[in-house]
Amino acid sequence: MNVYVPNDACARAVGADRVAEALAKQPGVTVVRTSSRGAFFLEPLVEIDTPSGRAAYTNVDAKQAGGLLKKKPTPLSEIPFLAKQTRFTFANAGVTEPLSLEQYGFKALEKARGLDPQKIVDEVKTANLRGRGGAAFPVGVKWQTTKDTAADRKYVVANADEGDPGTYSDRMILEGDPYRLIEGMAICAHAVGAKQGYVYVRSEYPAGIRKLRAAIGHALEAGLLGPESFELKVAVGAGAYICGEETSLLESLEGKRGLVRPKPPFPAIQGLWQKPTVINNVVSFATIPDIISRGGAWHASIGTATSKGTMPLQLAGAIRQGGLVEVPFGISLEEAIYDFGGGLPKGSKFKAVQVGGPLGSIFPEALLKTKICFDDFIKNGGILGHGGIVVYDQRTDMVALARHLMQFTADESCGKCTPCRVGSTRAKEILDVILKGEGTEADLALLEELGDTMKSTSLCALGGLAPEPVRTAIQYFGKEFRRK
Amino acid sequence: MSDLEKILAGCTDSPPNILAALQKVQAALGYVPHEAVPKIAALLRVTDSDVAGVLSFYHDLRTEKPGKHVVKVCLGDSCRAMNCEETLAAFEKKLGCKLGETTKDGRYTLEKVYCLGNCALSPSVMVGEDLHARVTPRSAPNILKEYK
Repeated sequence: MNVYVPNDACARAVGADRVAEALAKQPGVTVVRTSSRGAFFLEPLVEIDTPSGRAAYTNVDAKQAGGLLKKKPTPLSEIPFLAKQTRFTFANAGVTEPLSLEQYGFKALEKARGLDPQKIVDEVKTANLRGRGGAAFPVGVKWQTTKDTAADRKYVVANADEGDPGTYSDRMILEGDPYRLIEGMAICAHAVGAKQGYVYVRSEYPAGIRKLRAAIGHALEAGLLGPESFELKVAVGAGAYICGEETSLLESLEGKRGLVRPKPPFPAIQGLWQKPTVINNVVSFATIPDIISRGGAWHASIGTATSKGTMPLQLAGAIRQGGLVEVPFGISLEEAIYDFGGGLPKGSKFKAVQVGGPLGSIFPEALLKTKICFDDFIKNGGILGHGGIVVYDQRTDMVALARHLMQFTADESCGKCTPCRVGSTRAKEILDVILKGEGTEADLALLEELGDTMKSTSLCALGGLAPEPVRTAIQYFGKEFRRK
Repeated sequence: MSDLEKILAGCTDSPPNILAALQKVQAALGYVPHEAVPKIAALLRVTDSDVAGVLSFYHDLRTEKPGKHVVKVCLGDSCRAMNCEETLAAFEKKLGCKLGETTKDGRYTLEKVYCLGNCALSPSVMVGEDLHARVTPRSAPNILKEYK
């Protein structure tokens, strides 16, 4: 019998390899290595086939392997965390073997290559797909711009520099369904007239890099990629958060310091080596195959008025059931944290939640009714960003957290804009003073002024948005910043 | 042919990819020695400052020999929510060195990293390319036993 064991880096970090090894020694067992479904709190999650679909053994220890399969497994339909999700982009996660071409199929690419390029761009526009990397820019607009720009060479680049702390959806695609990314990029290449592409992956994801390289190799052998159609290469980052910003990423791809470029010109017109370049996030590209197979109208029928489709939320921090939750836009932050996340662990009480990573906002309990969609977050003074949701409990010192966030910005600023480069360090120093209980109202006023200067005079979103979590922390937890 | 020439064979595109070249040097030598900068610049036909600029920009690129095992403690937001400072302190105590330093026996280098993508199972630590989950001050020393 087939026994499915995840081969995902996080599942392996809690012992999936030892479990796989122990199970392989059982008579009659064939171990099949899948990736993770994203229910990380249940890993290692071992599955078997039953007449009514897959059923699972949760939190398996290698020592239990002997008697495990005699026990009654839990049908996946009885695990609410998974059963209540709407899986499209992550449909294969934990189900298929990530490198099996046969299981993946590449049907959407076959269809797309038979279509007129403009028809593909139109489908993406109809789908109203907004970029999942954080900026939520309409994907179809980027594609149309690059398509309409005449050039001897064009590029398609996937941004897999998933630097926002608290996010891991790109990592799960790289490790769990790399062909979906490759297919999305190849469809884009056909649509805009590009023959070359790059996936820029952060170095912190070695397992994802290996999987992606192997997948590209298989796709090349199978004739799905190639110099005549689309040549795809992997570039590995070098530990700089700023290289997740699209123009910094392009500089880094060219081998330079990752300094951001002023916009315009936009990458869609002058990108990599000054050539028209579509640059999208991994999840954005991974959504494309379904849009081509099912149609743009299908995608546009899911979600809220201006946030279409599904969003992979990544639950993290002080949460009982941490993991990836793919749901249509429109559920509340509260539902995400309590219905899917199961609330906070024993002994922990909710204090705040950070959504949108280091460029997002710190929300108090009063804002938990906020709907998960781009506009509601903006309305409430935040951003949904890349969908990272980090929960903090009652023990969190908000001043220390604010200081940490400014330290992060100081470490990761590319240095091009003075307000971001110097301002982040000065803000950190002010927060040090407040942390010691020596702060005054003048310090808080200065902090706000610094933040305003960074926001209005920085070229990119790092300088422009990094003051936000600190500003919102002061707005909602002001008392802590007035400690003596 | 010098070692550097061998390492950088195939990196001579014009204009060259300086980052990729330095990543190659580091993969081969473990680090990029300061004294190699002029040689690398000459081989790539760029200026010394072009190479030094890229070298100093990226956190991954190092100019000193690292320990046999590089221990990266995640200080990302999710790990902070799960008290990674205590995990870091446990490593510093056990290793007898501070963040950014290498132990006297040359076995371990202790570094920070912002996010390993293991946020559902924080705090996270990476040793070499191995990811470790839910690393508490108590479990931290046990992890080191796997890396002699």
